[in-house]
Amino acid sequence: MEAIKTTDLRKEYKDTVAVKSLNLEVHEGELFSLLGVNGAGKTTTVKMLTGLSKPTAGDALICGFSVVRELDRIKPLVDVSMQETAVARNLTVEENIDFCAALAGKSKSVVAEVKKNLYDIFGFESIKNKRAAKLSGGWQRKLSIALALVSSPKVLFLDEPTLGLDVIARRELWKLIRGLHGEMTIVLTTHYMEEAEALSDRLGVMKDGELLFVGTIEQMYKKTGCSNVEDAFVKIVEGGDSLE
Amino acid sequence: MSESIKRICTLTGRSVKEIIRDPISIVFLIGLPLAMEILFYLIFHSMTDQFEMKYLAPGIVVFSQAFISLFSGLLISLDRAGSFLVRLFVSKAKPYEFIFGYALALFPIAIVQSILFFVVGGIIDSSLWSVGMIYGILISMVTAIFFGGAGILLGSVCNEKSVGGVASVIIAGQSMLSGMWFPTQGMSKSFLTFMRVLPFKNATMLVQNALNGVNDVFDDFLFPLIIVLAYTATIFIAAIVCFGKKMKNL
Repeated sequence: MEAIKTTDLRKEYKDTVAVKSLNLEVHEGELFSLLGVNGAGKTTTVKMLTGLSKPTAGDALICGFSVVRELDRIKPLVDVSMQETAVARNLTVEENIDFCAALAGKSKSVVAEVKKNLYDIFGFESIKNKRAAKLSGGWQRKLSIALALVSSPKVLFLDEPTLGLDVIARRELWKLIRGLHGEMTIVLTTHYMEEAEALSDRLGVMKDGELLFVGTIEQMYKKTGCSNVEDAFVKIVEGGDSLE
Repeated sequence: MSESIKRICTLTGRSVKEIIRDPISIVFLIGLPLAMEILFYLIFHSMTDQFEMKYLAPGIVVFSQAFISLFSGLLISLDRAGSFLVRLFVSKAKPYEFIFGYALALFPIAIVQSILFFVVGGIIDSSLWSVGMIYGILISMVTAIFFGGAGILLGSVCNEKSVGGVASVIIAGQSMLSGMWFPTQGMSKSFLTFMRVLPFKNATMLVQNALNGVNDVFDDFLFPLIIVLAYTATIFIAAIVCFGKKMKNL
């Protein structure tokens, strides 16, 4: 079964069309990257797929459930880490995890297990009693991503997860994201081409609300005749429909 | 306990922790009003009736509640700015649960403020110890809801930079238009009418009269109660509408 399947998904705001008839399939367990310049419609797509924003037209199925008609069935299945760090500032790392677990309706025994896993994966043991506001930007971002995992989602959306992080923190996050690969379906939006190259099974390129390309990196090279993701991306975005 | 109530309790607990763990909020919610209660009594009570503890303590209780609107507004606007609200919206929680989570957080804070300032008032002036003090504490929860609603509205419409400025208008309004810092005798009739149709003087009167008793039940209690409740209902409806709009326009 496809984890995500969109059919003519569209989002219009007052005087702009943010996403134009998006047709996309993301396979279960896949790490799919959505690339695009600013205003391409990546974040709007994520918002529609997570139920944060209602599509103007079309529909999307998440694990077989419609974002238009069955949002209550989808909510337990998805989680998101947006590009801005989303943590409770004056709560400790442990309290942040407890808070998200309580909202997700996890039982105490499950929470203990989730916490242990997150401490192991993210290395939170030594900072679990520190308030989020006192953590460095890198740790805050790690916590923000960890909180999206507390609900044990089947589909995880990571919107620009490494934006603004230094190169070391970024590499550490890549390692963490790679570790999650296969356990759940991950949709990653990013501006960093090397990030998409390092992490993705497949990727999609968006421009002005349209999906210009979907495929593996090899298929991207083949289509554009380029040998690196950045050049291929630029060629697709600048070339538009002329690339065949 | 239903899942919804559990989530509301979780959201409320988090909001309380966020507010009380900010040292600045403790200074303004507790420290500053407490210092004002003691100092204003010591300096001015022998000069004018205005600063007798039976008027000052309830006035301070309501004044301190004005800061709740600042800090709950700040909490919501910061949650919006940092995408924390987005995280909450993706969860199973429903929109009304968020509103309750922010609104109910004001009660433990308001109860602590009310008990503290009345008890300190009672220690300074033993005539305050009466059943009226319990009435005063109870009725101050009504005025607290007004200021909490104002905070939710501010947090929904203002960003984290502007919320402080707008909240200071409410704090200044409570300070200048409540009639607690200066005698209202001798003021023009039109200005007095203006004060009586705004919530600030009515909120102060309500708690003062709950403590001290009333001469005319309608004028001294029911009228201010109706005004405060009307503003509270209006402000909560506006807050729910604005918060709902923000949810739709993430």
